[in-house]
Amino acid sequence: MPKITLNGRELEFKPGQVIIQVANQAAPVIEIPQYCYHDGLSIVASCRICLAEIWMPDKATGKLMPYMGGKLMPTCQTTCIDGMVVYTDSPKAVANQKAVMEYLLINHPLDCPVCDQAGECLLQDFSYEYGRGESRFEEAKVKNPKKDLGPNIYLYSDRCIMCTRCVRFTREVTGTGELLVSGRGNREEIDVFPGKPIDNELSGNVVDLCPVGALLDKDFLFAQRVWFLKSTPSIDGITASGDNILVEHNDGKVYRIKPRTNMSVNKWWITDEVRHGWKFVQREDRLCEPKHKQFGVQLKTDWERAIADCVEGLKAVATRGKHIAFLASPMLSCEDTFSIARATTAIDPRAFLAVGPVPVHGQDKTFPPNSADGFKLYAEKCPNSRGVRRTLEALSKQGKHNGYVANFEQFINQVRSGEIGGVIVTGNFPSDWVTPALMDALKNAFVVVIDTLPSELAARADVLLPGATWVEKTGCFENARAMIQAFERAIPVLDGARPEAQIGADLFAQIKSGKPDLAPAYNAAAIRTEMSRVPGLEAFATSVSLPTVTVEQQPAMAMVEL
Amino acid sequence: MAIRPEDILHVKTPSMNRLEAAYLPEVIKGFGTTMRHFFTSFGGMGNSRTMSYPEERRENMKVEDGGMELKNFRGFHRLNRDEKGRVKCVACMMCPTICPAKCIHIIAGESPWDDREKYPVKFEIDELRCIYCGMCEEACPVDAIELTPEYDIVGLTRQEMIFDKEKLLHVYDVTISKKPM
Ligand code: SF4
Ligand code: SF4
Ligand code: SF4
Ligand code: FES
Repeated sequence: MPKITLNGRELEFKPGQVIIQVANQAAPVIEIPQYCYHDGLSIVASCRICLAEIWMPDKATGKLMPYMGGKLMPTCQTTCIDGMVVYTDSPKAVANQKAVMEYLLINHPLDCPVCDQAGECLLQDFSYEYGRGESRFEEAKVKNPKKDLGPNIYLYSDRCIMCTRCVRFTREVTGTGELLVSGRGNREEIDVFPGKPIDNELSGNVVDLCPVGALLDKDFLFAQRVWFLKSTPSIDGITASGDNILVEHNDGKVYRIKPRTNMSVNKWWITDEVRHGWKFVQREDRLCEPKHKQFGVQLKTDWERAIADCVEGLKAVATRGKHIAFLASPMLSCEDTFSIARATTAIDPRAFLAVGPVPVHGQDKTFPPNSADGFKLYAEKCPNSRGVRRTLEALSKQGKHNGYVANFEQFINQVRSGEIGGVIVTGNFPSDWVTPALMDALKNAFVVVIDTLPSELAARADVLLPGATWVEKTGCFENARAMIQAFERAIPVLDGARPEAQIGADLFAQIKSGKPDLAPAYNAAAIRTEMSRVPGLEAFATSVSLPTVTVEQQPAMAMVEL
Repeated sequence: MAIRPEDILHVKTPSMNRLEAAYLPEVIKGFGTTMRHFFTSFGGMGNSRTMSYPEERRENMKVEDGGMELKNFRGFHRLNRDEKGRVKCVACMMCPTICPAKCIHIIAGESPWDDREKYPVKFEIDELRCIYCGMCEEACPVDAIELTPEYDIVGLTRQEMIFDKEKLLHVYDVTISKKPM
């Protein structure tokens, strides 16, 4: 493989790569300061902080000669050539870095104390590492205004460093082109066209792209300082995309969701509905205590009692000569589904399995429009309809139904036909999902509801068990691309609620032992191993992709020996 | 910083003589010291450190006589006001970040004023958890939080000792003459 030498280290490169890509991918990373370069965008080489001194061996003599006449070259735009010797730490390169930093800070307000970006700001980091620490600028700073660019985004023009990452994003990735550069010199500003706010479905990504605190998310504005947040790798739990995300939380509360780079799924981006759709997790009215019906009234109870009531009630259905059914919501993880389905079939081996309603809003969309390999926005608004179906079908093949798994309509008809006398219904949708048809069908049945939000059905349930949202549990989802991806628990489960997989395990434990005990805490990996023993579910042992986190920018602070 | 071996001083316990080893004389000697202090405190003369609090207070005494240095005494907090009487704090969260006792709780919001971005919608300090180290004062970039010479505020419940923004601003109003900004 051809090689370049960067700051004294030999690095291999693939033909066509630019120097900065080789440096960013080296292990350990060789840090080259960079603002305008981004892996997912075109290269403009406008910020000029990545300039390096480059030497090339002379073809005839092999002696190192200054490349391109010895001027500093942008490493983000210079393609690697075998034998190149690059310095970003030579006196000339360092002098440039200092000059660029000073220039960028001339009109910069330096209001880090009130700037949301502080702590994850490239300007702060590079100023600390490559800047000069004091300003020689004595004149008054130009203050460009704060602007409202769209439903999700504020622009603090005075903090902008004109890297144009955001503009390139709207032109190249979304193809919507809302942002533009207007004015010149110190009056140069990012703007939108009059009456055309930036409101495309991916608009939130410009906030992540902005290396400084110029573009900020209205939703996260002033909510937390970023250094208080802890990140947990997770998977989109709202749509079928399976986008890789980071759930950022503090003290058991979620504050924001950010994309996690995965080149085979979402690349660097996520949609705004994934970014902002988690609010239901913290709704005030989340269900948080198990309830059971006594003499026609729903009363609070404890978990042991509630689980015992479920088992008793569902067993009684079988004695009446009817069957029970499990309606698995496509919001559940594969482990949840397996765990509850196993308990259901343990009570009644002829139990029916069905997949809950799969919400589809409109049609799939691609960004930029009509591109073949663009970013895809999925119309299916649930994370795991495929995984749930796959799990249930495998279990149904093992059982008496020969692989038959009903969909929501078929389930309603089955219940109407009077074949089914007792059901376990799971919800976990971000908004009310119960249809009048479902309510009507379940009129005479014994109903166990496992859900997170109050609904008409929850109010009518014979036993009501509060479940957990995906950020409160571990598990895996199968996305629209048929990839099974595992996610981790970000925040503790709401007091009084239990993850569905746990409820399934509790039910199973009581069916087996006949005693009102609860099962020990479930382990998602162990459930997956168990699942993989069922014919048709082998994939859960072999092809679940576990979350890997790549930390892109390491903090530059070093311990100083005094 | 780690302690260097050359900085460590090994001190040997001096061995006791016979009289000291007999134990009782030393106990009587120690009791003598106790009694001496007991009587001098009654007399209130010379090197007695006893004061008739609250009639006598350290803030009214000279520093050389054991009085309190008002400028840097670390008592209860206050939140300073700016020249327009608004809270000076910009909700930068430096103080909760540095606070070793984790007793400062701030909820930030967009400020209602044009000349400022951010301000604390809620600002609470749990004065019972606070260890009065003064780190918040050091960290504040706008000199908004300060420790005052007040040390004798009492409360009947724990809740009362969690000072909110209004109370902290009130502490400013009553201590500004004693300790100017
Ligand atoms: S953009 Fe960065 S350097 Fe500028 S005020 Fe915000 S945190 Fe500070
Ligand atoms: S707003 Fe941010 S991303 Fe856009 S040009 Fe300015 S600094 Fe770059
Ligand atoms: S450090 Fe000062 S400005 Fe920042 S939050 Fe605390 S009191 Fe407010
Ligand atoms: S990163 Fe190379 S010029 Fe901006």
